[in-house]
Amino acid sequence: MATTQSRPKAGGKRTSRYANMTKGKAALVIVSKYGTLMAMGLMLIIFGIAVPNGGFFNSDNLINILNQSSLTAIIASGLTVVLVVGEFDLSIGYVASLAGVLVTGLMAKQGLPMLIAILVTLVVGIAVGVINGLVVTKARVNAVVATLGVGTVVVGLSYGYTSGSPIVAVPDSFFQLALGQTFGLANPIWLMGIILFLLWVILNRTPLGQRIQAVGGNLHAARLAGIRTDRTKIITFMIAGLMAAITGIMLSSLLGSGTAAAADSYLMDSFAAVFLGSATLRDGEFHIVGTLIGVLIVNVGFNGLSQLGTPVFWQYIFKGGILVAAVALSTIARRYSKT
Amino acid sequence: MDNGSSNSHSLDLPVGSSRTSSQGHWLEVRDLAKQFGGVYALKEVSLTIRRGAVHGLVGANGAGKSTLIKALAGVIEPDSGEILLENKVVKIPDPHAATDLGLAFIHQEVSLVPGFDVLRNMAMGIDPDTHFGLIDWRSMRKRAEQVHERLGMHFSLNARTDDLSTAEQWLVLIGRALMRDAVMIAMDEPTASLSAVEAARVHKVVRDLRSENVAVIYVSHRLDEVVDLCDDITVFRDGAAVMSTTRENITKPSLVRAIVGSDVERLLKDESHVHGRVVLDVRDVSDKKLLKNVSLQVHEGEVLGIAGLVGSGRTELARIIYGDSKATSGEVYLDGQKTHFHSAADGARAGIGLVPEERRSQGVFLDRSIAFNVNISSLRDTVVSRWMPLLKVGAGNARALKSTQEVGVNTQDMKMLIGSLSGGNQQKVVIARWLAQKPKLLILDEPSRGVDVGARAEIHRVIRELAANGTAVIAISSDSEELVDLCDRVIVMNEGKISEELIGPRITLENIVSMSFNRKED
Repeated sequence: MATTQSRPKAGGKRTSRYANMTKGKAALVIVSKYGTLMAMGLMLIIFGIAVPNGGFFNSDNLINILNQSSLTAIIASGLTVVLVVGEFDLSIGYVASLAGVLVTGLMAKQGLPMLIAILVTLVVGIAVGVINGLVVTKARVNAVVATLGVGTVVVGLSYGYTSGSPIVAVPDSFFQLALGQTFGLANPIWLMGIILFLLWVILNRTPLGQRIQAVGGNLHAARLAGIRTDRTKIITFMIAGLMAAITGIMLSSLLGSGTAAAADSYLMDSFAAVFLGSATLRDGEFHIVGTLIGVLIVNVGFNGLSQLGTPVFWQYIFKGGILVAAVALSTIARRYSKT
Repeated sequence: MDNGSSNSHSLDLPVGSSRTSSQGHWLEVRDLAKQFGGVYALKEVSLTIRRGAVHGLVGANGAGKSTLIKALAGVIEPDSGEILLENKVVKIPDPHAATDLGLAFIHQEVSLVPGFDVLRNMAMGIDPDTHFGLIDWRSMRKRAEQVHERLGMHFSLNARTDDLSTAEQWLVLIGRALMRDAVMIAMDEPTASLSAVEAARVHKVVRDLRSENVAVIYVSHRLDEVVDLCDDITVFRDGAAVMSTTRENITKPSLVRAIVGSDVERLLKDESHVHGRVVLDVRDVSDKKLLKNVSLQVHEGEVLGIAGLVGSGRTELARIIYGDSKATSGEVYLDGQKTHFHSAADGARAGIGLVPEERRSQGVFLDRSIAFNVNISSLRDTVVSRWMPLLKVGAGNARALKSTQEVGVNTQDMKMLIGSLSGGNQQKVVIARWLAQKPKLLILDEPSRGVDVGARAEIHRVIRELAANGTAVIAISSDSEELVDLCDRVIVMNEGKISEELIGPRITLENIVSMSFNRKED
């Protein structure tokens, strides 16, 4: 009987859904889904006006924002997949750092050709994902603990491989990976576009993606529906490891060196972006488009604030503040719109 | 308590006088109507609740029972009509007002705080006596002890409620209502998830309440208990009270007719299925805990019922056949091939389907669409090609629509969230999931639990059709009547063993029930 009551609330059609609500409730529903987008719009307007000489809204600056966003977006999209399956990965930043030192070291120390060095590094990233996945599914260690542990081992490997000093002797062609352009657009932006599109397709248009969503939605039901839940989870960790490795390679190309711990901060940036994204367009679900928007919000804010000459410490306050505010606002709005 | 209802305590006949003493109209509902978005949830419903009587409300899901209860509880406001308490019109604008009038409501989902003990759960929501702002637990405990004794609770007031069984938790909720001096208690499907023994305990408490002159509203899908327990019965259909009568005047068939609105056809048994080709052959299967040398066969086109109490090993056996858990000894053959399943996925791939026992936690993906829920086990059927594993646009919806129409799901919108369907329709969707794959063997664990009579009939029709097309079916059910209606053959399980096999005319309610409880005579 309770289901009859819930029908109008959960009803599929948007028009009837809002029509049944009071104005206040409809506004709350809109805020819970579009609040982050509205915040972004507001920032664009404010920076557009406040930054002198139209320095914000010119194509160079906008492309610059995309470029700055690209590496975070790639690693965060890998994390998104793990969160959709209902797990956690705290090792991605460390894996990206390892990838940076490994790809440069394989070229500088072992003298491998660039392509081979990159392939080996990508395989290592996937391998760390497999280990994470096995520890989580087969040994049944909580994902937070498992990936923190594996990630810490990875930190050790990075320091061990570099002996503590940066690897700098890399070929010029390697710089071109991140600094070069294709068809007039920086390579990282292309890479971000391609990877995000592929992951979106995988999550929404392939059997694998449907299984990932099923396992994240109801693990028990997924198992009884005949899904290999462990395998599905391991695959998501592999995707996260691969994305971390790609990010690490691109970062070391950008920096022109391999430094242990160079990419560690991507962990927190990814989590911030992914959770900002979960408060965008959908009811607290993780999704690729949301993650992209989450990354862009943070970077639009950073860019605008630094152009206004705001001290750096404000940027952190901004980043932490907008994350907590956005997720809290969407949660509260969702709750009130349902009562 | 306001004056009106306090008086009702003293004005009424002495507690426990007798059932016939309270024939007067205590609570009367007159022409109550409520619309939701132009659809009538209640159509001018009138009925009378007597004190010292159990009033059963029956009807399909969505027929109006809950809406009526919500109106009495002050959760929704009726559009028209009135509620009279002792011949005086009362308004119940909010739940607090209902409590003040002595009306208590116990809803389907047990609403206890798991970490709290029984006392604190019973005291919840009561304005407590205080000493300097601190709750006077001593006087509270005294009140609770009286209720404790009155209900014959055999567990301590200090027990944590999450250590209690579901039936005991219901007692705590009834206790909470009595702590608030409730004169009427409405219970929404109290026995839906209880075993027969546990249900009997709840029934006893309900009878005790009746003899203490409490009015009880009892919502249930179990018609046997309604016929057995209720003094007055009102049948709801499509928002209207279509039949209101007393116990003397009802029989179960007449009740079913009133609920469905027509006669339910009884399916004829055909023993020929029992001798077809063997699809599933289970030989001497044992597991770690419960099962001991279980052997059975299921034939092509046969519906085999498994009866037995909760904990007799029925579900465990199903899980082993499906591959979701492992046997310690014995073998399972499917189509003559010995199976080596390591997981449920292996079972599904080999052509076995499972409709699990707990729909919400094991069956459906609540915040996903109907199409998602139907297609999730057969995603490979809608990809472009093996080497191009992209889901074809629209193919999933078309496929889901076809399967759900076959099982009679009452919507065409495959993008609708499954959570917004009724329980019966959700269950049909889970069955539709396997239908499209034409499984060799379909195992249904409690196929119609928590489902209304109409949906149940439809689910049974689908199962029979599936069997007619050659699928071997195992139906596990605590509802013996369902097995009688549905099965060609029934085996009864008892403490991990098969104790009896019933075929054809021997499949009767009496046989199943007596054999399920057999162990007590051992």
